[in-house]
Amino acid sequence: MFKHNIIYSFKLLIKNKVLIFWTLFFPLILATFFHLAFSNISDSEKLNIIDIAIIENELLDNNSYFKESFVYLSSSNENQLFDTIFTTEEDAKELLTNNEIVGYIVLNGDGPSLVVKNSDINTTILKYVIEEINQNSIIINNTLESSVNQNTTINDISNQIISYLSSSNISITDQSSDNVDYMMLPFYSLVAMTALYGGILGVAMINYFLANMSSVGKRVSVSPTKKSILILSGVIASYIIQLLGISLLMFYTSVILNINYGSNVFLVFLLGLVGSLAGLSFGIAVSSLFKVNEDTKTGIIISVTMLGCFLSGMMISSLKYIIDKYIPIVNLFNPASMITDGLYSLYCYDNFNKYWFDIMSLLIFSLLLILLSITSLRRQKYDSI
Amino acid sequence: MNYVIEVEHLTKKYKSFKAIDDLSFKVKKGEILGLLGPNGSGKSTTINCLLALLNFKQGHIKIFGKEMKQDAYDIKQDIGVVFQDVAVFDELTVYENIDYFGGLYIKDKNLRKTYINEALDLVSLKDFAKFYPKQLSGGLIRRLNIACGIVHKPKLIFLDEPTVAVDPQSRNNILNGIRKLRDDGATIIYTTHYMEEAEMICDNIVILDKGNIIAEGSSDELKKLAKIEEKVIVEIMNFDDKYLKMIGKLKNVVDVTYASSILTVKYNKGQNNLVTFIEYLKENKIEYFKIYSERPTLNDVFLEITGKELRD
Ligand SMILES: Nc1ncnc2c1ncn2[C@@H]1O[C@H](COP(=O)(O)OP(=O)(O)O)[C@@H](O)[C@H]1O
Ligand SMILES: [Mg+2]
Repeated sequence: MFKHNIIYSFKLLIKNKVLIFWTLFFPLILATFFHLAFSNISDSEKLNIIDIAIIENELLDNNSYFKESFVYLSSSNENQLFDTIFTTEEDAKELLTNNEIVGYIVLNGDGPSLVVKNSDINTTILKYVIEEINQNSIIINNTLESSVNQNTTINDISNQIISYLSSSNISITDQSSDNVDYMMLPFYSLVAMTALYGGILGVAMINYFLANMSSVGKRVSVSPTKKSILILSGVIASYIIQLLGISLLMFYTSVILNINYGSNVFLVFLLGLVGSLAGLSFGIAVSSLFKVNEDTKTGIIISVTMLGCFLSGMMISSLKYIIDKYIPIVNLFNPASMITDGLYSLYCYDNFNKYWFDIMSLLIFSLLLILLSITSLRRQKYDSI
Repeated sequence: MNYVIEVEHLTKKYKSFKAIDDLSFKVKKGEILGLLGPNGSGKSTTINCLLALLNFKQGHIKIFGKEMKQDAYDIKQDIGVVFQDVAVFDELTVYENIDYFGGLYIKDKNLRKTYINEALDLVSLKDFAKFYPKQLSGGLIRRLNIACGIVHKPKLIFLDEPTVAVDPQSRNNILNGIRKLRDDGATIIYTTHYMEEAEMICDNIVILDKGNIIAEGSSDELKKLAKIEEKVIVEIMNFDDKYLKMIGKLKNVVDVTYASSILTVKYNKGQNNLVTFIEYLKENKIEYFKIYSERPTLNDVFLEITGKELRD
């Protein structure tokens, strides 16, 4: 019974060209797009050392990670990215007017802000690095707070900072080498989005079983096959396709586009797979619980995925921290956030606790949604079909 | 009693619109029950309620003596449904479609294979087993639709207008198939708005209009309700209306009408009505093109009760 349903569900999905395009090929197109965008940059503009200024103030003195990071990135070695002057705001303004720096950074209560004259590749890189460093500094300051409570020595703390810096993903080095970490960010987003777009498969799958969504759904609904069997076999079939999608994306980006996921490549892959399950479950739940047409359901999936990715900081990294700070409940139930958190944690923490925590959260999230869907569909009758 | 279906006081509303109004009927084991009614009379709604797809306001439905519910899987196992809309997957071949739906009922692969072949035979689709639905004509798709619904050899079969928009050859094939299913022991609910079909294959007929049962019984019992025994139909080009009154007063005549070159004379009893009328026409030197006599049809029953035609 299970095998029969899995085989046919798979056949139905794989022959649906629209679904296959969005789940298998669209991510590859985006990956190619990202890759071209970034490789063009490195081709056309040889990366120079960027002249910047940072305004001296009390906040900067208190945020040693932030300051140290720029000192580190400005020290003359092969990793040097910036030439940083620590100065007053007035001075910096004048330097900027005279084009002696591309921009200057002011730390204020809301975090760092960047002042530039015009935007080009240098200011883009600068922005990226500032966001990165800022995020890390928030994480680190939190870690430090708890460390301090446990009576650790100053020495421990500075050791920690040094270890963060050396393992940091902001050590942008040579544009020509493979290991350019900031270029990875869009690809992580892509993994998360590919995983969550699995929801579209879930919607299509469930609609085949619903009497109010399709005529075949009526046939299926009057059969003695339980909804749980139908849904679970549908999940397995869709999951196989998701697995293909994530594998294809990882293969394409790492082998064809030469993107280096580093030593954590398998953990990234695993998170993609677990994230896919969450995406699928979400699609199934939307399809089961909302009595609207298929296009609306797909619309819900796409907009919730986009919103989720947005809230989890994919486009504006600092947004995630604002939300985590003021309305943490949002990202607690946001699968996109669970995925990006997990991916970040691979680079921001020394241990994998956070990573496994996110994996578990995603699994629980999926299980709950699937159970909810089965329960709601089990005795479903309609006012009108 | 040996009733396969018992429906009591079934009422179904779509929002405020009452599609079915206090319907009660029973279906005997082994019969073909026809639900006959014009479009929109509530046939499909009735079937969807019986199958526990639709919520309904009030009423009780028993199938095989047990209350029908959404999760009454043992009842569902023995039911086969052919919906009004074609319900097949475009992505699957004819054979795969039948196999998929059959598999929802029958786990044993070999048994299923045998049944699929029998279903293909029943609807004469053997030669098309590898075709995709898009490659089939309308009539053939309807036959596939039927095969998908009956492949598991159900004891009770619902067929909702299975012959709508099909060519005569497919229609005959379908009607013969349905008879064969009945002869093999199945009980069948058959909805249609074609009265000829209902007359041809149904053992009992329930006539629906606006969600109400207006008559029920066998075809012969129903025809008695029409209150006429014979109709004489004459094709006349230029008929003078002045004769209408006279004809109306002839022996046994209950009604006479002339419309679109057709004169219809209805008799409540008597023999030799046709011969007598031919004499009458000759006497009055009325020229006609064609004349024949007809037994009353279910349409006459419908007309008698509702005052309107059954055909659209
Ligand atoms: N989903 C629905 N929503 C509202 N009204 C409906 C719906 N389905 C059918 N109806 C109305 O209910 C009546 C009965 O419809 P239906 O059962 O489909 O008739 P039939 O099958 O005899 O043609 C019609 O007047 C139709 O317009
Ligand atoms: Mg209908």
